[in-house]
Amino acid sequence: MNTALVRWWNRYWIYLILGILCLAFLLPIGYALITSLQPTGFGLARNLFNDGVYWGHYEQLLSTPRFLRNLLNSAITSLGGALLTTTCCALAGYAFARLRFQGRRGLLIALLGLMMLPGIVNLIPLYRLTSELLRLVPTGAAVIGDLNTRQVANLLLLIAVYGAFGIPFGVWVMKSFYASIPRELEDAAFVDGATPLQALRHVLLPLSLPGLVAVFLTNFVFNWNDFLTASLLIRSDELKTATVGLLDFQNQLTGNNSELLNAAAILMMLPGIGLFLLARKAFFRGFIEGAVKG
Amino acid sequence: MKSQSRLNRSLPYLLILPALLCVGTVILYPTLFTFGLSLYENRRATFTYVGLENFQNLLGNTMFSSGLGRTAVYSALYVGLVIVFAFLLSLILRGRIKGRSFFLTVIFIPWMLSDIVAGILWRWLFLPRVGVLQNTLGPLLGDYSFLAEGTGAMGVVLAAAIWRGTAFALLLLLAGLQTIPGELTDAASIDGANRWQQFWNVTWPLMLPTTQVTLVFLSIQAINAVGLFLSITDGGPGRATEVVSLQLYKQALQFNNFGFASAVSVMMFFVNAGLALIYLNALRAQNVLD
Repeated sequence: MNTALVRWWNRYWIYLILGILCLAFLLPIGYALITSLQPTGFGLARNLFNDGVYWGHYEQLLSTPRFLRNLLNSAITSLGGALLTTTCCALAGYAFARLRFQGRRGLLIALLGLMMLPGIVNLIPLYRLTSELLRLVPTGAAVIGDLNTRQVANLLLLIAVYGAFGIPFGVWVMKSFYASIPRELEDAAFVDGATPLQALRHVLLPLSLPGLVAVFLTNFVFNWNDFLTASLLIRSDELKTATVGLLDFQNQLTGNNSELLNAAAILMMLPGIGLFLLARKAFFRGFIEGAVKG
Repeated sequence: MKSQSRLNRSLPYLLILPALLCVGTVILYPTLFTFGLSLYENRRATFTYVGLENFQNLLGNTMFSSGLGRTAVYSALYVGLVIVFAFLLSLILRGRIKGRSFFLTVIFIPWMLSDIVAGILWRWLFLPRVGVLQNTLGPLLGDYSFLAEGTGAMGVVLAAAIWRGTAFALLLLLAGLQTIPGELTDAASIDGANRWQQFWNVTWPLMLPTTQVTLVFLSIQAINAVGLFLSITDGGPGRATEVVSLQLYKQALQFNNFGFASAVSVMMFFVNAGLALIYLNALRAQNVLD
């Protein structure tokens, strides 16, 4: 009996530990989810399984213009930033992977160094430069939707900053991706008289789609989750992104609608978790196993 | 033909131009701007040149020095706990374990969340009267109210940070473990080395460079953390969780104290740049840069 127990323990202790760990890791999200599915003020007194699920908070959020507006702003700036990053990195990565030019190695190393400089170091200048730049732009009448010229400029500025923040890492990813593609494929195109740009456009880019998607998605999630930069740059309520709106919401909370806050937090995490679950196989393959190839 | 070759010669520069333009205006230029700004004192909208006065003021500033202390404590605990935890996990998860990809997925989910969202979840777990962990752990510790005590509040932020940061360290360490050929540990075990000796004599020395890089990344995350502090404690109770990075954020944005904040920025720049240099050096040692 005792030896059977010992054998069982020797074989399964790892799973026991990992199981407990998984529960611990899921607890914060699970508790928020359960909270968000209860009417206001019930706490844990209400039993989700007997009393049923209450979707009211989600219905309320999805019909609150301000919340939807925050999500829309997050979507626009995250998409725009990721698109800018991906475009710049697709071009620059090619130069770094395939072309010889002066300063190539130095620039690559400089980019690697910049990757390690977090946004907070640039917090004050970005904050002040934004003020000064926006002062140059007239407010004017509404140009896109209900946004005036200055607000549009404000959004574009955030997109540009998001775009730039992703570049040091993205250039390295694209450079490594291009470098892993056999040169013979382009050589065939060169024999047919193609220019380097044509080789990039017709040979390398189609083959690099997974790399481009990876750069785009990581930057999208990164931008979506950003709070610091948005809180510095955004100057009007109409432009607030979802993270900024969420912290405002928590700070203004009067204590009786925590359930609503938890529902908002759950909705906020959906894009990141959803994209991760969809792409996790490729993600683990690329980052953990792929690192062998360098 | 001649214009063709000129195009070919300038092509690399044209291709990298958009990337360099973005990085230059959004990252490099503002950094230089901070250096300049740190030499000025601002009263409302006027800036007067004061030389190094902002830095001298920092030295005697008790708010700043206690902030430094908190950053040191938080960073040491965060880096130390995450590296040990992630290292153990990476050793467990490197092998052929059933459900490996499931376990990895669960551990990685918190990393996909915004620090603000993560902070809101953890604050909710420890909120007085309603938080499920406050209600279960609080009574065990003699009616301890986590968010009302300095140590407790720091502990909650730390727990949230470890929860969110483990995945990233695990990622780097697992990638490092992959580069160690299985034959090496096999050979050691044939020579009669037990598991501990295999780890200590084979795995650990080979993992040192990866561990070093991971430590650098974790340190950078720790000293620059703002979001979790803002969303869980906002520096409180009192100033018990007001780390330097949070002071920088609050002094600049809430109090328009740009002299103080840019002096702090410059100091943080040097600490981060130092860490970045260690990182580049580690990569050079591994010949990644060639």
